[in-house]
Amino acid sequence: MNVPLSILLWLPASAAVLGLLIPGRATARMLALLGSAGALGLAVSYVLDFDRGADGLQFVTDETWIRTLGISYKLGIDGINLFLILLTTILFTASVLWAAGQSWEREKLFYFHMGIAQTAVLGALLAQDLALFVVFFDLMLIPFFFLTGMYGPAATRIAAVTKLVIYTLVGSLLMLAAAIATAVLAASQNGTELSFAFSDLQLARLASGSQDWIFLCFAAAFLVKMPMFPLHGWMPDGYRNMPLPVLAVFSGVLSKVAAYGFLRVCLPIFPDASAHFQTLMLIIALVSILYGSVMAFTTTQTRLILGYSSVAQLGFITLGIFALNEQGAQGAVLQAFNHGLVVAPAFFLVGLLAARAGGSEDIREMGGIARKAPVIAVLFLIVAFANLAMPGSANFVGEFYILLGVFDAKLAIAVIAFTGVAMAAVYTLRLFIRTMHNRVGPHVQSTELTLADALVLVPLVLAIVALALYPQLVLSKGEKSITAAIAPARDIADPPPPAAALPVQIDPATGQPVDPNLPPNPSGGAVPIDPNTGLPADSTGGQIPIDPNTGQPIEPATGGTVTDDPSSAAPVDPQTGLPIDPQTGLPIDPATGQPTDPSAAQEVPTP
Amino acid sequence: MQTTAWLVLGFPLAGAILIGLLSSRIPAKAAGYIGTASIAGAFVSAILTTLSLQDREEDARQVVFVAWDYAVSAGVDAKLSILVDPLSMLMILVVSGVSMLIHLYSVAYMESDGGYRRFFAYLNFFVFSMLLLILAANFVLLVIGWAFVGAASYLLISFWYRRKTATAAGIKAFVINVVGDIGLVLGTYFILKHSGTVDFLGTFDSVKTDFEGANGDLTAGCLLLLVGAFAKSAQIPLHTWLPDAMEGPTPVSALIHAATMVTAGVYLIARMYPLFEEAPSAAAVGAIIGAVTLLVAGTIGLVVTDLKRVIAYSTMSQIGYMIMGVSAGAYVAGLFHLMTHAFFKALLFMAAGSIIGAMGGEQSLNKMGGFRKAMPFTFVCFCIGGLALAGIPPFSGFFSKDEILLDLGAEGGWHWALYVAGYVGALLTAVYTWRMIFRAFFGEAVPEAKQLEGGHLFHPTEHVNPSTGEAEDTDVGFPGPEHHVAEQAPLMKVAMGILAFLAVVGGFLQIPFVNHWLEDFLDPTFAGSEIEIEPSDNLVIFGLVLGAAVGLLGIAIAYQLWVRKPETPALFLARFKALHTLFSRKWFFDELIDYVVVRPFAFLGRFAQQTFERIFVNGTLVGGSTGLVRAGSAAVRAVQSGYLRSYAALLLAGVLVVGFYFLVAS
Repeated sequence: MNVPLSILLWLPASAAVLGLLIPGRATARMLALLGSAGALGLAVSYVLDFDRGADGLQFVTDETWIRTLGISYKLGIDGINLFLILLTTILFTASVLWAAGQSWEREKLFYFHMGIAQTAVLGALLAQDLALFVVFFDLMLIPFFFLTGMYGPAATRIAAVTKLVIYTLVGSLLMLAAAIATAVLAASQNGTELSFAFSDLQLARLASGSQDWIFLCFAAAFLVKMPMFPLHGWMPDGYRNMPLPVLAVFSGVLSKVAAYGFLRVCLPIFPDASAHFQTLMLIIALVSILYGSVMAFTTTQTRLILGYSSVAQLGFITLGIFALNEQGAQGAVLQAFNHGLVVAPAFFLVGLLAARAGGSEDIREMGGIARKAPVIAVLFLIVAFANLAMPGSANFVGEFYILLGVFDAKLAIAVIAFTGVAMAAVYTLRLFIRTMHNRVGPHVQSTELTLADALVLVPLVLAIVALALYPQLVLSKGEKSITAAIAPARDIADPPPPAAALPVQIDPATGQPVDPNLPPNPSGGAVPIDPNTGLPADSTGGQIPIDPNTGQPIEPATGGTVTDDPSSAAPVDPQTGLPIDPQTGLPIDPATGQPTDPSAAQEVPTP
Repeated sequence: MQTTAWLVLGFPLAGAILIGLLSSRIPAKAAGYIGTASIAGAFVSAILTTLSLQDREEDARQVVFVAWDYAVSAGVDAKLSILVDPLSMLMILVVSGVSMLIHLYSVAYMESDGGYRRFFAYLNFFVFSMLLLILAANFVLLVIGWAFVGAASYLLISFWYRRKTATAAGIKAFVINVVGDIGLVLGTYFILKHSGTVDFLGTFDSVKTDFEGANGDLTAGCLLLLVGAFAKSAQIPLHTWLPDAMEGPTPVSALIHAATMVTAGVYLIARMYPLFEEAPSAAAVGAIIGAVTLLVAGTIGLVVTDLKRVIAYSTMSQIGYMIMGVSAGAYVAGLFHLMTHAFFKALLFMAAGSIIGAMGGEQSLNKMGGFRKAMPFTFVCFCIGGLALAGIPPFSGFFSKDEILLDLGAEGGWHWALYVAGYVGALLTAVYTWRMIFRAFFGEAVPEAKQLEGGHLFHPTEHVNPSTGEAEDTDVGFPGPEHHVAEQAPLMKVAMGILAFLAVVGGFLQIPFVNHWLEDFLDPTFAGSEIEIEPSDNLVIFGLVLGAAVGLLGIAIAYQLWVRKPETPALFLARFKALHTLFSRKWFFDELIDYVVVRPFAFLGRFAQQTFERIFVNGTLVGGSTGLVRAGSAAVRAVQSGYLRSYAALLLAGVLVVGFYFLVAS
């Protein structure tokens, strides 16, 4: 039996509050460390216990929160958020550990905000209720507002944080409105009770017109957070003003929550809109890749190189999600984990380099740092190779899957996106060479890694190496949930081949066609078939029927499910259970859509 | 067999990690010996694996071993699996054998360098990567090995990392190699789309059935694989990195940029022959590019004055032969040339390293001369390498190059054009090779040579970057203070001696009318080939005679131009100025790439940075959103005026609007 998810969720925040209340400067630091390390331990235990064969959510906590509004306190883990939760706990632990080695003004408040931030991020990842998700998603902004506004460079931090807040708030308000609209429309459309739970919202498929505008509102919030071109205006100032340990988690985790939002909210709940806006989203992602890459190799600020590189990398992740197929989404989830694992040590390294270059973070002031610091050079090299997705790194596997997905969906976009891969090599190596190699910079004092720095950096780099050896860990655990999450949108964007192309199995007991992927239906109702198309009729008015057993939408083309709908227009042959063609009076073969002799229908080849 | 096959990979990887972790805790020399021993271990494992493979039935000599699932999900079945078959065995024997000798050479040659241990760690890592590339049993692992060798090559090119020229050459090589990786990945996508597997043998099995009606995709896939091959093997237009790669230490040039890594493209095409045979137009592109490259590189080799770069262009040109051969179906011949080339080209580089050592790091042919007496051993080695490269019987290059051209001639049709190009290239090869030898070893002895004749090795008093003249120190990140020549370093002598022996006898594996051992050995891999090449006896004899004659003619021309009448080259230069400019500016490929790729991106970057980011993102959007908020709050402030009448008016307006809404709605 696992520890309830609430403990994981609230542990960092509790540690933060305790740290604020108990006097003594060291206590806040120690408690923050304990809180984040404890969360890390719990996250590891969830990864180990996660059953990759199971459907749906695991370790679920489900309590009613606000009954009248249909809001529940529902937490759960599946293949989509499992590794993002692990990533969050890893990065927060590393950042707190790193911050602990530095001195901070108002130290207690610093760790307090870090703890709150971690709980907010974990909440957004764990939430299985749209309202809860929105609450945590917006809560994330508050601690980072203080962490930037209080600890950034005094001259510019207020302007930067204002910009950050305005951008994010506009997105958040749109998302809030959209979330409420989703639940209200879902309830009124289907005459059900108001509910914000993801599982309920997925079943209630909104009309496509409503889906469209709601999707766009969510997309705006997520794209700002990632950030994607052209909504990245807050990024340069924001990145310049965050203390590096804060930036490491901000860039490593928060952007992933936005990407996660697409997979958790947009694709399953608004599949029609996701398919409708697929090309738009792919183009935004593509432009972000190109723009981020080009910027990353022109700017000379080390943090901004990483910042724009993140814009490009998030572009790849978005690309994968909106490929709307398994490969793309699998790659996106893997890449989200990889990018976080790479960008955080990269920011740590930037800190180490700046400390050796007389405090400057400009690559023009650096150079030759490798000379007396071979260990830093090796660690940086591994991080750099992972960042440019060198084959052999897990990042490559992520990009391989993403681009394979896009290749299948939109060939031209995949080909253009590959220029981003080449440019990643340019800007990443440029960063490495200009800092570590070439002539020694004017103020550079090259010294080796200290033990305290190694304590933060080496485990992260080892994690990159370990994942490079076995990316299958992430892929195999995610496979099932990810496939389920993208299936509805995929089937709209890229409809499966018509039923005639598929071998159909006939259940000898009922004479029903059976989808081999689905459990047999005990109720044994007949499939109404549309006489015009030969496909199973859409009795729910433009919506895909839902399998009552699994709660999953069924592919109409395979004719797999069975909705017992007495009001169906097509009469059913009592012998075979097949619908009857109104013209000929013969039963319709579900495989071909043509009226057939019932005896012939039985001879459909079985695979 | 499974154990020994994995050990082939295990030894070099362990060596690299061990040297890396121990680093300064062990004496420098120990790193060199650990490095050499680990490659020797790989070589022995390769021999054992080959022997046990030969014990099997001929049709069971393609074996796949799987370690673990690497990325198996969503229709991709990438496992960590290696393919042991005659082709991969030939390659790993050549690679590990030559690598072992080059490691041995480096133990002495790099002795005084500040980065000695790092050098051997990188070199071991390179060998591991190369063996991984060869043994990979699926596309994903192939791409990984492919990129790893690129990374190792980058690290070693910029080994002297405080030299800006070296780091610039490194990033250039790396980025062009990434272009190759991309080609490989995209090619894999096109193939995977139909075959449904990334496994090589599975793909080859499916090629006849699954690509029906999708020959366009197969051709696209093969062309993209060729992009990968061209980038790695320095074929036009992706060749510009190779001459610059000579910034690396000379043993690196010998190992990576001559003997092993750059031949990966040849290996790839040979490995993928079942695909290329179904996509003949892609294969034709490969053959034509190979022919063009061998000619263009040959012409540049005629005029380059940097000793190492002459050999680099020669490498490009020789790989052109191999690519041309394997693309046209002469698989065994292409691989045969790959092997002999590894021997004599590594030997030439080692000998060049010895001369460069005697020159105190200087590489320009203009400053060399008369080293024959001072360096007899190096001279002999250089001549053996030069004879093999020029294709003079009975040296190894003679048999292998002729075999390629013979197969092309036997195929007939448009392959005759390739046949002719091959012989023109052979003439160029003989000329530029012997130009180099005559200029370095003949003529008036330069002061450095005279000093060495007296038994004293020249050492410059000031250390500079030979290509820019910038002052340097001799600490880590720059070349060390000492230089080494074969005459004074027994280890270098051993390595060069063995290679010289191989460069002489390597061709005897396959002599027309006598034996065809290599063909028999490789037969299990190429059994499925549908290209039948049956040369007539007359063609064979004609080819052998022509090859020998062309080689001798080339040497004679070089002798005439650079020994008998050394003033003639200047006359030619004055007469054909345009041609000389074309050749010495390397056919303007660098400029072309600069204009087509580098400048547009740099412009885009500047535009994004200076114009777009500043005006659009910071101005409009941010100004827009903050401005919106400001305007909104100003409006709200204006409304809260405190006047009762305005509140009343607002209230009235509100009621009217609500009433209107209900009227319309009902």
